[in-house]
Amino acid sequence: MLARVFASGGTTLQRILIVEDSATMRSLLASSLEGLETPVKIVEAESGFEALRLLPRESFDLVVTDINMPDINGLELVSFIKNNPQYAAIPLVIVSTEGSDRDRDKGLGLGADAYVVKPFDPEQLRRVVVDLLSARDGADAPSGR
Amino acid sequence: MAARRSSKGRDGAQPPEQASRDRHEFVAEAEEILERMTGDLSLLDEQRREGGEVDPDLVNRVFRSAHSLKGLAGMFGLDAISQLAHHLEDILDGLRLGRIPLESPAVDLLEAGGGLLGGLLDHIEHGSDTTEEDVLSVQAFIERIDAAMRAPAEPARDALEEIALDASFLRALTEYEEHRLRENLRRGRHLVLVHASFGIDHFEEGLAELTSVLRESGEVVSTLPTPGASPESEIRFSLLVGTEVEADRLRGQVEGHAAEVEWVGRRGEPVPDTAPAAETSSDAGPPIGASAQARPLEDHTAREAPAAHTDHTAREAPAAHTDHTATEVPAAHADSSSIESLRSISDTVRVDIRKLDELMNLVGELVIQRNAVGTLANRLSANLQTARVGAELGKIHKALDRKLKELQAGVLDVRMVPLRQVFEKLARVVRRLRRDLGKDVALEFSGADTELDKLIVEQLIDPLVHIVRNAFDHAIESPEERVVAGKPSRGTLRIGASQRGNHVVIEVSDDGRGMRVDAIRARAVARGLVGADETLTRKEVMNLVFEAGLSTAESVSETSGRGVGMDVVRANLAELGGMVDLVSEAGRGTTVTITLPITLAIIQALIVGVGDERFALPLNAVLETMRVDPEQIGRSEGREILDLRGEPLALRRLGEEFEIPCASRGEAQFVVVLGMGEQRLGLLVDRLEGQQDTVIKPIKGPYQQLRGITGATEYGDHGAILVVDVSAVIGDALRRREAA
Repeated sequence: MLARVFASGGTTLQRILIVEDSATMRSLLASSLEGLETPVKIVEAESGFEALRLLPRESFDLVVTDINMPDINGLELVSFIKNNPQYAAIPLVIVSTEGSDRDRDKGLGLGADAYVVKPFDPEQLRRVVVDLLSARDGADAPSGR
Repeated sequence: MAARRSSKGRDGAQPPEQASRDRHEFVAEAEEILERMTGDLSLLDEQRREGGEVDPDLVNRVFRSAHSLKGLAGMFGLDAISQLAHHLEDILDGLRLGRIPLESPAVDLLEAGGGLLGGLLDHIEHGSDTTEEDVLSVQAFIERIDAAMRAPAEPARDALEEIALDASFLRALTEYEEHRLRENLRRGRHLVLVHASFGIDHFEEGLAELTSVLRESGEVVSTLPTPGASPESEIRFSLLVGTEVEADRLRGQVEGHAAEVEWVGRRGEPVPDTAPAAETSSDAGPPIGASAQARPLEDHTAREAPAAHTDHTAREAPAAHTDHTATEVPAAHADSSSIESLRSISDTVRVDIRKLDELMNLVGELVIQRNAVGTLANRLSANLQTARVGAELGKIHKALDRKLKELQAGVLDVRMVPLRQVFEKLARVVRRLRRDLGKDVALEFSGADTELDKLIVEQLIDPLVHIVRNAFDHAIESPEERVVAGKPSRGTLRIGASQRGNHVVIEVSDDGRGMRVDAIRARAVARGLVGADETLTRKEVMNLVFEAGLSTAESVSETSGRGVGMDVVRANLAELGGMVDLVSEAGRGTTVTITLPITLAIIQALIVGVGDERFALPLNAVLETMRVDPEQIGRSEGREILDLRGEPLALRRLGEEFEIPCASRGEAQFVVVLGMGEQRLGLLVDRLEGQQDTVIKPIKGPYQQLRGITGATEYGDHGAILVVDVSAVIGDALRRREAA
C-alpha cells in the first residue's frame, strides 16, 4: 500500500482507494487526483486481493479500479463492494481500456457509478471524482472513523 | 499474490503534469511487461508444439500484457506503440475467447509484434521520439495483422443461459471468464461452486492453497469475494470451478480447507431428491446434473444414490465429450475417505516407450509359447491314444489364444498415437521455410487422428520433413513463376493420412512444377542407372527418383540438406517396413505416397516353403495366393510374368532370390501376390504352410545385413525361420529388370 496525503485546501480529508496492477498507471491515476481542490489521501492497491485487505482498514470515500487484473478482476471487486452493506455506499469508478463495451455495461450493471476510458484525460477523471464526492458529501457526510 | 513492488520513492511535491510525462518510468514498466509477454509467448508456443492443451491462463496473461502496454502507451501519447499493442491485443483477445485458432499465422504475428515493440521501446529509451520509419513499419505490420485476421468472428452460442447459477455471479464475470465457463460446459465438465471463508488478513495464502488443489482436477473460472459471516474480520470466497471429477470426490479433495462444495445444475432439470434414489443416479446422465437451486451435495447424490453407481454414470457422460486421456482409465471409486483425497487426482500415467517395448516383447514371447502349445495340441490330437488330452489342450490353447489377443491388442493400443504430433512438427517446419524462402505456401492437413505405433511415428518425422522440404524447395515455384504459369501465386501443400486395413497411407502432394518423365529418364540413363533402350513404364521411371545418385536436385540447398535425397527417405521408410511411391505431372504437381504398417511389434505372417527351407512373409503385404501350373507362366522381356486377370504380374522365384535348391520348374507351384503401396510382385514358392502371429527379432552378427531379410521369428518345432523383407524384394525386383 502506498498512501499519500495532499492538503491543498478544503477541510475534509477524502480517502481514495486506487486498484490497478500497473505501477505506472497507478501513479498516473494518483497524480491526476492529487490536483483536486479538497485534501485527499490516496491509497494504492496493486491487485484486487490487496484491495480486499485494505477495504476494512479505512473508511474510503471513493474507489477507482481497473478491470483486467490478476487474481480477482475489477468486476468481482465491484460486486463485492456493492453487495457488502459496509461498503455499498462508496462511490466507485471503473477506469478501463476502451473496446470492451460488455465489461463496461457489466460494471455499471453491478453498481459502479462511473466508467472512465483509458487512456483517460486527467481533467475528466477529476471531474467525475469531484462530482461523485460532492454527491456523497451531500447525501451523508463522511464519517471519518 | 505477486510480491509488492517497492515504492519508487515518489513524493507528493512532484507536480502531476511532470509525473505524467515521465517516460523513463514508462519505459521501465513497458520493458518489464514486454519481457514477461515474450517469455509467456515462447512458453505458449512450446505448449502448443508439444501438442498438449495450452493453458488458458497463459493466453490470458499474454493478453493482459498487451492490454496493459496499450493502456500505458496511450497515456503517454505513444500512438505507434499503443496501436501496435492494440492490434496484438485483438489477436490475443480472439485467441483467449477461442475465436482464432492458436496456430500460425496468429502465433507468428505475435512473435514478430513483440520484436517490433521491443525496437520501438529502444528508441524511446534512448531519448529519440518515434521516427517516421517506426510509424511506417508499425503501419505495415498492422496491415499484415488485418489481412491475416480478416476471418469474421463468430458469436458463440450461449450455453450460459442454461446454468442454474445466481445472476449476481454471472454479472461479475468478464467476457473472458464467460468464455472459459462456456468452454468448460462444452467439454462436459461438472460445474461446482466452492465456498470458503478466510480471515481478512491472511486470506491469500488459504485461497491460493485451495485454488491449487482445485486446479489439479479442473479450472477455476472465477473467484468472487462476498462478505463473510463477520464482515469486519472475515471474507468469503465463492470459486466457480469446472472440474473433471465428481462433486463428492472434490469434496474429499478440499477437505481440510474448510470449504463447501455446491453443485451447479442446469435449469429445468428435476431436483434429484424429489425423485426416487435409483432414478437419481440415472438422471445424472448429463454432466451438469443436479438441482435447479444449487444445494449442498450431501443432500442428495452422495448419500441417497448408491455412490458407486452415481460415480459410474456420471463419469461416463463427460468421457464422450472430453479429451479421452483423463477419463479413459477407470478411476478409483469416489470414496470420499481422506486417504483417497490425498492421492493424486490425475488418471493418466506417462510411460517410457521402452517399458512398452519390454511389455510387447513379453507378449511376443507368450505368443511363441502359445504357438508351441498349439503345435503340441495338434500333435496329440493326431494320435488316437492321446487324442483326448490333445483336445483338452486344444481348448486351453484356444482360451489362451483369446486372452493373449486381448492383451496384445491392449498393449498395441497403448502404443498407438495419432499422427497429429507429426503434423504439428511439419507445420512448424513449413512456418520456418515460409519465412526463410519467402514462398507463400498454404498447408492443409487431413487425417491427423490416424493412429500409428509410437515408434513408427518417431521415425517417420525425418523422412516426412525431408519430403516436405523438397516440395518447398524444389517443387513449389516462386510466386512470380506461378503467376506466369497461370497458377495462384500461393502454392498448396496437402498432407493427408488414412488407415487402409493394416496400413496407414500418408500422402504429401504439392501443386508445384512437377517432374518430367523424360528428364528423369535422361538423368537416370546418364548416371547409368538404366539402359538407354530399356522400356520402363511411367511409374517405374518416376520411382527412379528414389535411387541413390539421382534423387537430389542439382542444386544442393540449405533447405533440402546436402546430398541426402529420396534414396535415404526410401531406406528409412523401408526400415519401418514401409514403402514410398511418387507420382508427378509436369506443371501440375507431385504426390508422394508413403505406406506403413500400423505396428512393427507383432505381425501376422504367412509361412511358405521353398525346398527344405521355410520363410515368413508379413501377411499385411500379401494380397492373395494362388496355385499356378508351369504353362501359365509366360515371359516378357526376359522376365517371368503371370497373367493376373488381364494384368501382367511380374514374378520372382523365392528360391532363386536366396539361392535355395527348390522344386523343378516343371511342377505346379504357388504364387504369393505381394503388394506394397502401388507396387505388385508375384513370389513363386513351393508350399504354403500356414499363418501365425510372429514377433520379428532382429538378426545379430554377420547375417544382419542380409538383403531381403528383416529378421527372424520362431516357427513351432522348426526353430527360427527368416522373415522376408517384402519392400526390399519388391524394390530389387523392379530394379533388376534384366534378370534371368
